[in-house]
Amino acid sequence: MPFVVIAVFPVFWMAVTAVKQEPDLYRMDVVPFWFHLPPTWKNFDLLFTRTSYRDWIVNTLEVALWVSAITLLAAVPAGYALARLRLPFAENLGIGIFMTYLVPAIILFIPLARVVSLLGLQDRWWSLVVIYPTFTIPFCTWLLMGFFKTVPFEIEEAAMVDGCGQFGALVRVVLPVSVPGLVTAVIFSFTLSMQDFLYSLAFISVSDQKPVPLGVATELIRGDVFFWGSLMAGALLVGVPVAIVYNLFLDRFIAGITGAAVR
Amino acid sequence: MTDPGGGAPSPDAYPVALRRRVGALGWWRSRTVRRCAFGYALLAPAVLYVALLVGVPFLFSLYLAVSNATVGDPVAEFVGLANFRAALESTTFYVALRNTVVFTVGAGVLKALLGTGLAFLLAQPFVGRRLVRGLVVIPFTLPIAISVLGWKWMFDSQFSVINWALSRLGLTGPYGSPDWPVWLGEPYLALLSVMFVNVWRGFPFSAIVLLAGLTSVPPEVIDSARVDGAGFFQRFRRIIVPMIAPILFIGTAFDTVFTLSDLSIVYLLTNGGPDGATEILPTLAYNTGIRAGALGRGAAISLFLFPLLAPAMVLLLRTLRRRQW
Repeated sequence: MPFVVIAVFPVFWMAVTAVKQEPDLYRMDVVPFWFHLPPTWKNFDLLFTRTSYRDWIVNTLEVALWVSAITLLAAVPAGYALARLRLPFAENLGIGIFMTYLVPAIILFIPLARVVSLLGLQDRWWSLVVIYPTFTIPFCTWLLMGFFKTVPFEIEEAAMVDGCGQFGALVRVVLPVSVPGLVTAVIFSFTLSMQDFLYSLAFISVSDQKPVPLGVATELIRGDVFFWGSLMAGALLVGVPVAIVYNLFLDRFIAGITGAAVR
Repeated sequence: MTDPGGGAPSPDAYPVALRRRVGALGWWRSRTVRRCAFGYALLAPAVLYVALLVGVPFLFSLYLAVSNATVGDPVAEFVGLANFRAALESTTFYVALRNTVVFTVGAGVLKALLGTGLAFLLAQPFVGRRLVRGLVVIPFTLPIAISVLGWKWMFDSQFSVINWALSRLGLTGPYGSPDWPVWLGEPYLALLSVMFVNVWRGFPFSAIVLLAGLTSVPPEVIDSARVDGAGFFQRFRRIIVPMIAPILFIGTAFDTVFTLSDLSIVYLLTNGGPDGATEILPTLAYNTGIRAGALGRGAAISLFLFPLLAPAMVLLLRTLRRRQW
């Protein structure tokens, strides 16, 4: 149980902070875990009226949407080819793609800064759309590969006997039964995009182009002045939904990683 | 539906048997070749994307590291190993290197211990296990930058809720007294705090990975070992660990890579301070390469991470190659 307390307390504390009134935050003489002044929505108000929070949310969603689309377009065919077509070198290619997931951002962000400026995308969220698939494609290819392996061969054969080409079989038969896998891939494109901080920090410094984590972390701290209430409000408003969705799909994530070892 | 075989008539036109006969005519028509061509065509987008935006940049960073490229000046000259030498001659670099190692190893050991404990707890059946599991993995599922902000507030120099609790319990003095811990303001405490946040975020991951391993061990094996008189630790060391070793390797490799390359905890909590006490290679690379604009220097510093990462990646590669497909 101490595990649960340690895991959950920071989130609880953030939530309490987000709806406390300013003076209530800075009273050390009373038990800080609860309210001594009535809770308030003022911090959320400030977020939407005095910062570009609305833009950040829109940016985050747009980035995630584009990244998911690109990821699906690349990872679905690749995962299928690796799982099904018995290609020579498929194993090495598969491992190669998976390994790129582990080439960390910290080694790539400096050369990618140059790439981003070559593409003329500095300070625009489009740069993230280009960059994020570098980790979502490898992961989702791997994930989908595992998934396609579970689709029975027979239904594909049947489709081909009925006159579909291999591609037709993929589009008309395999994809429809793989919807859960595709949904999982989209979810991970979303959540993995949300986990990034370094790339957005390195490539974007204009306020209205920032995604939420970067925006909250950089715009609500002005020198030594911290807007703690709004900071927590803005962080949780996006963090909690992401955490919940991720939580529901966590087993798939772990299976995607460890499946590599046991399958 | 067009056929991928490049100009071949649609297969829809032939009955299956006929198609086979037609397929036997030329090598291009042979099923294997067509299947491979089709397969590689499907792989192409993913492979190209990754090659262009991971492979090329990686090589490019090798080039940058031996050049004097800066953000403002796109024309770079070859400077040999000057960037590496400059890094090796600065004390900040050594501090960052030492901190990186201490941070990764220290946090790694703690995560392994806590994760193992938690995994065994979660492996027991009890009421509300799903709920407990869902709650303990929250640290891992929250976007990192967001939870770090929460910790920054909890480590606040004056209004820290942790200090409030500690001083109420009588473990530390009141605010302003010398034993009021300023978590992010004192060198050792700051490094400890940064590590703590990393452990907080990472231990659920270790636990869940280990749990996935534990549930893959058939209970009969454990039972028969117990019958043979193996104690708990013997069972753990001799049977469970060898059986789930591949999963452990992969989990460790992932965690090491994420820990080594994560900059957000240090960047947001202390930005390397106080006085460089928590500087790690990622923050140093960021501050040198992007903030100060010395791309070449920054690239050289981040490449020093590579030898640290390599063992994890080799381990992973070997695990992956040994499994059967």
